[in-house]
Amino acid sequence: MNFTTMLEYLPQMLDGAWLSLQITGLSLFLGFLLAIPVSLMRLSHLAALRLPAQLYMFYFRGTPLLVQLFLIYYGSGQFRHELEQIGLWAFFRDAWFCAVFALTLNACAYTAEIFRGAILAVPKSDIQAGKAFGMSGLLLFRRIIFPKALRIALPSYGNEVIFLLQASSLVSIITLMDLTGVASRLVAKTFAVYEIYILTAAIYIAITYMLVVIFKLFERILNKHLRTDS
Amino acid sequence: MTAALALHNVRKHFDDVEVLKGISLTAHRGDVISLIGSSGSGKSTLLRCMNLLEIPDAGDIDLSGERINLRQSRGGKRVPANQKQIDRARARIGMVFQSFNLWDHMTLLENVMEAPVHVLKQTKRDAREKAQALLAKVGLPDAAHRYPAQLSGGQQQRVAIARALAIEPEILLFDEPTSALDPELASSVLLVIQELAEEGRTMLLATHEMGFAKEVSSEVVFLHQGKIEEQGAPEQVFDNPVSKRCHAFLQASR
Repeated sequence: MNFTTMLEYLPQMLDGAWLSLQITGLSLFLGFLLAIPVSLMRLSHLAALRLPAQLYMFYFRGTPLLVQLFLIYYGSGQFRHELEQIGLWAFFRDAWFCAVFALTLNACAYTAEIFRGAILAVPKSDIQAGKAFGMSGLLLFRRIIFPKALRIALPSYGNEVIFLLQASSLVSIITLMDLTGVASRLVAKTFAVYEIYILTAAIYIAITYMLVVIFKLFERILNKHLRTDS
Repeated sequence: MTAALALHNVRKHFDDVEVLKGISLTAHRGDVISLIGSSGSGKSTLLRCMNLLEIPDAGDIDLSGERINLRQSRGGKRVPANQKQIDRARARIGMVFQSFNLWDHMTLLENVMEAPVHVLKQTKRDAREKAQALLAKVGLPDAAHRYPAQLSGGQQQRVAIARALAIEPEILLFDEPTSALDPELASSVLLVIQELAEEGRTMLLATHEMGFAKEVSSEVVFLHQGKIEEQGAPEQVFDNPVSKRCHAFLQASR
């Protein structure tokens, strides 16, 4: 194994890793925000709200992310004329935008499913107490249901975050120079397959480890009420 | 004088079990009414109807003379006609649950401040001051920043009482407040409730503590299979019940 090769390409690889982090982070953030209303729609008694959410979640959880990326990036070319007319073509011809768009929709579908389960798992006693003190609707959701659901969702959500980081490597296939994209290009150029992919794996592991630590911290902060020693 | 709370012929069924079979009950200001009866007699359901946690299938509820508006939904179920009115009504009624139902992710102080700040829109400063005073009143002056899981059941129930008092309720409802507690812890809670009774608060409580009910109540209601079987002053109900069932129940619970 040639360590000089690894060191030589490390800066380029880190640039790629930065793009991976950007795309993953932005998609997770947007997906999280969208997942709150989507999970509520999914839980609604009104079919007009529930069915669209159900269909959306079923589609994005039922198809591979790679196919979703292809459909959005290559598929949007079919509608170039229409997209130009409504002024959206500038977005859809940009691979970075398509990647964030696809990853956001994908992450949102999975996150909404996690939230759905978490909201259903909020103890009835908490909700009843909230109602008994005059809360309902959005206030009840904001003050009682959501804070509790978030704590219940955290372990599964941490898993989703790590999953999305790994899945973001697929964006290299639609020409983006994320960590995997940079690695593939370097391998094609240098044929140092082993060195470069080892380095790639090491960087993904380092980021994942960082995420694990961050989520441990979140859990510690959000679950301090469960400790009985202080 | 307008009654603090009046129920008119309230009925409630779950699936095909009729739990309340037409109950009328009036609580005037300062009344302490104990609901007694065996498990399944409808005490808890009746109490939960009073703050609309259960919506009666039939009958009406007046809170300080204001009729709670209920309407028939398309599915035939009875639903609140106006959720805002229900929320307002509930914010005037303090509820203490059998299993405390504290929000366990909030500190005790936050539990007590929650409704005053977010429902009644009081300032945090006022609410905090009042919450601290209430925690002291229920015997937990130094526990403001602890979490419910760090307390005994009796302490949790006293915090729940402080939380109910924080909204300055016109009526306090206690749903078997000591049933989940051992006798020693229960007595600390009963002491607090007795103090509230002596302050002249309007209270309704479902309870299995007969001695306590006899001591604090201005009126005792014995429920049997969803109906009021016996009702009157505590001395009359406990020492001279007219109903045979009430007599048998009291014998058995001695």
